[in-house]
Amino acid sequence: MVRFETLIELHHDELYFYLRRMTHGSTSDAADLTQETWLRAWQAFDRLRPGSNARAWLYRIATNCALNALRKGRREYPWQEDADLPDEARLPHEQLEDSEDLELVLEEISALPPRQRAAVLLRYGHELRYAELASALKCSEASARANVSLGVRRLRRELEAK
Amino acid sequence: MNGNAVATGVEQSRERVRDWFSRTAPLVEWSEMVSPLGVLYLAQSGAGLCRLTFGGTEDDFRALLPSRAKSRRNPDSLREARKQLDAYFGGRQVRFRLPVDLGEMTRFQQRVLRRASAIPAGELRSYGEIAREVGSPRASRAVGQALGRNPVPVVVPCHRVVGSDGKLTGYSGARGIESKRWLLRLEGAPVEAAARV
Repeated sequence: MVRFETLIELHHDELYFYLRRMTHGSTSDAADLTQETWLRAWQAFDRLRPGSNARAWLYRIATNCALNALRKGRREYPWQEDADLPDEARLPHEQLEDSEDLELVLEEISALPPRQRAAVLLRYGHELRYAELASALKCSEASARANVSLGVRRLRRELEAK
Repeated sequence: MNGNAVATGVEQSRERVRDWFSRTAPLVEWSEMVSPLGVLYLAQSGAGLCRLTFGGTEDDFRALLPSRAKSRRNPDSLREARKQLDAYFGGRQVRFRLPVDLGEMTRFQQRVLRRASAIPAGELRSYGEIAREVGSPRASRAVGQALGRNPVPVVVPCHRVVGSDGKLTGYSGARGIESKRWLLRLEGAPVEAAARV
């Protein structure tokens, strides 16, 4: 059985960076949502079955926290370039070498609808497999793929227009 | 923009989560000692000794600590347990008087381990006998599984339980049956006779 303490050591940072990206770079919102994620994980920890994918489970809780917060409108505001800083080092998917391009991509990711934003970030930013992504988004694998695909298509369209 | 600000945000969040966890999670302190079986790691919760391992690494040991617990190494902790274990390995004591925390085990497993604790040093019981003693005469296999999950070997002497034919059938501790035989010999149990069967 995985230990909760170990989960914090292994996954805190990536969850924080994911939530920060979900909340348009706000450190205070990311910190609040990160705390909320761990609190919910603690309450649900007994339901995490031995051998199951704890990382995907944590992303699912984090995604729920973020989508709930965004749905309530508390944290939905336009991208603020100076709100906080990009996490280049935390985004292993980025093949872009030019940091200005990276900035542009991150900006457009932030402008995606929340569910597509989560799908794109988890797939390409945090390298979740589609099965894990489906678990994190609480949907079928086909639906997870569709969300990624829609998000990427929209990103491409927006970036090409610039 | 600078990298420090990024680090500060995540570090502050990490500290905040760690603080919350420290205030929320039950504390488990652990320590280690040298024994004839190799380095022996032991941990205690508020309820008592909750984990003992030997022959493995520190990481192996820590991975086995109670899943919700906050763990902290404290070389000054567990003095009484270490003292009694020293006496045991020196052949001066065969019965442990230590509170044991079996809270992560099922009720059946707890009954089996408490029954095993009552076997006097130098004596052996079979899995079937333990099964009968805990009121589940047909559950020999489940008894074996419960003993195999013993979180505090040596102190809860699961090594005193053997096959119905007297064979040393298994041991969850490091080096398996070799360790079991070593412990039984230390206690003067009729292990040679048992091994010949």
